[in-house]
Amino acid sequence: MARKFNIALSSRLSPFQKFYLLIIAGFILGPFIPLIIQSFAFRWAWPDLLPGTWWLEQRDRAMVPLAWDYVLSPYSRVWEATVNTVLIGSIVTVICLAICLPAARVLAREKFRGKSAFEFFLSLPLIVPEAAIGIALLMMFIRLGLAGSYVGIIIAHLIPTIPYMVRMLTAVYQGLGRDFEEQAMILGASRWQVLRLVTLPMLLPGVVAGALFTFLVSTNIFLLTFFLGQGQIVTLPTLLFSKIAGGTLDASAAGITLIVTLPGIILLIISERFIKEEAFGKGFGN
Amino acid sequence: MTKVQLNAVRKQFGGFVAIENIDLEIASGELVALLGPSGCGKTTTLRMIAGLERPSGGAILFDDQDVSEQPVQDRNVGMVFQRYALFPHMTVEKNVAFGLSVRGTPRAEIADRLEEMLDVVQLGQFRHRFPAQLSGGQMQRVAIARTLITKPSVLMMDEPLANLDTKLRGEMRRFIRDLQQRFGITTIFVTHDQVEAMELADRVAVIFDGHLAQYDAPDRLYRQPANLDVADFMGATNIVPAAMKADDLAETGVGAIRVAPRPGFGAGENVQVMLRSEAIDLMITQPTQGGVPGKVVARDFFGASVNYTVDCGAHRITVTEQARRLVEVDTPVWLDIDPDRVWLLAS
Repeated sequence: MARKFNIALSSRLSPFQKFYLLIIAGFILGPFIPLIIQSFAFRWAWPDLLPGTWWLEQRDRAMVPLAWDYVLSPYSRVWEATVNTVLIGSIVTVICLAICLPAARVLAREKFRGKSAFEFFLSLPLIVPEAAIGIALLMMFIRLGLAGSYVGIIIAHLIPTIPYMVRMLTAVYQGLGRDFEEQAMILGASRWQVLRLVTLPMLLPGVVAGALFTFLVSTNIFLLTFFLGQGQIVTLPTLLFSKIAGGTLDASAAGITLIVTLPGIILLIISERFIKEEAFGKGFGN
Repeated sequence: MTKVQLNAVRKQFGGFVAIENIDLEIASGELVALLGPSGCGKTTTLRMIAGLERPSGGAILFDDQDVSEQPVQDRNVGMVFQRYALFPHMTVEKNVAFGLSVRGTPRAEIADRLEEMLDVVQLGQFRHRFPAQLSGGQMQRVAIARTLITKPSVLMMDEPLANLDTKLRGEMRRFIRDLQQRFGITTIFVTHDQVEAMELADRVAVIFDGHLAQYDAPDRLYRQPANLDVADFMGATNIVPAAMKADDLAETGVGAIRVAPRPGFGAGENVQVMLRSEAIDLMITQPTQGGVPGKVVARDFFGASVNYTVDCGAHRITVTEQARRLVEVDTPVWLDIDPDRVWLLAS
């Protein structure tokens, strides 16, 4: 893959095109560089551009890099936070799909009064600042006894994820004509068979993309989790915040940050494979 | 073998009436076209017969059994959509076998019938391909095979020849006809193309604005349309107003024309006279009697045939003939019209 990319880069692209690709690569990969350096530093004091002392030079004093020693120890609560993050993310994704699939079908295929207004209001949760939603929800959830519970956090996570999911699935449903489902029904398929054998497989690329996106958004939500978790439920973003709240990015925080990116990277790789291997990645026949 | 009947079938979407009391009887094993401009309700009619729409009034009968309320899955009909609606994530084999596998047919029987059907449509060598890897004609054959394998009592097709190029069109037309006769299956298709309707159907139902305008064999529809709208839709070019002088003589803007008498069109009536362009003989010398004089003002050459526009004074008449000879523009000519091929229409 890397070699193919290089060949293409050197043989077919003009210097300008290469320049822009490098800029984009810089913006995407750049943020990771200080994190990786930091996590392998022994001492990195201001205003040095690179750590004054690397872990490698102090191997006799520390068996593993200091940051990773801490991150991998039970004191850091990283394992607990990872489990919580993945668990909440998965449940949010499933519930979000269950709500958005039927909703997207209606939005894509039916005409009704106030549809355009409805579509407009769908984006509202993305416009209102998260802090406002969080505080308002917290007051209600304390009364309802949902504060500090998984249920509370999951409900809160659905608020910013549903608008994205509905939009994505509506677009996918619009691309899927009624013909296919009607054809399956005429051929004798029951509603459930139509859904299982025709609709879902055909929507799969969109569903996977939507689910992936929802999961990533959920695993990155800090403020709502922080308010509603009340410190009783630790996820990777809240754990990270407690590390950097002091205003410095120390080695262990850098380590945690790298851990935070892992679920997303793994998921990206899986879904990439998954979508590619689908035979109809070649396109929809007509 | 199923007879299909529509008794005063009506369909309303909110305040919009798509179909207004249509009566139609399709004999068992017959191939019928529903013809009309887009939005006339022909597709709605087809969807009601298939069971995809429920009629607002009236009844649909298969072999004298009312099926209006029967859900689509139980109606045992077949439908080939205009864009074939092949399932893109399934191979040709899976697509064709779909109808049988969802009905829980035993594996061995599915395999047998699949083999037989792939043979009929000559797609055996493409069985493991996906729809995206097939040509238009092959996709249509898959769609037909997928439908026929379930042994439907009625086969429906939406614009079956519309997506094909000229060469393939002839091939598919023969293929569909052969198949339809071989299986003796009652077939209904919709189209907005009068050529497609005439070349394929035993009888054609012309639908305008939700009303059945005429239901007849293609030749009658073409030569003897029921009214001006049908004549126009069937591509009639020369329609001129006339006054009847006698039962067999019409006075038009281009002179008196002998016509075949038609009941209800007596002397003194104001009528429209339809002259089919291919039924007019173009003479370059004046005939001994009759003949409408004129001058060729334009010539359109189509290879096998040629169209002349002849200025006859009050009207311009189009004449089509086989391109055995070519008459130059500006040549003075006389038009000789066989009275039997002149059709009278109410004004």
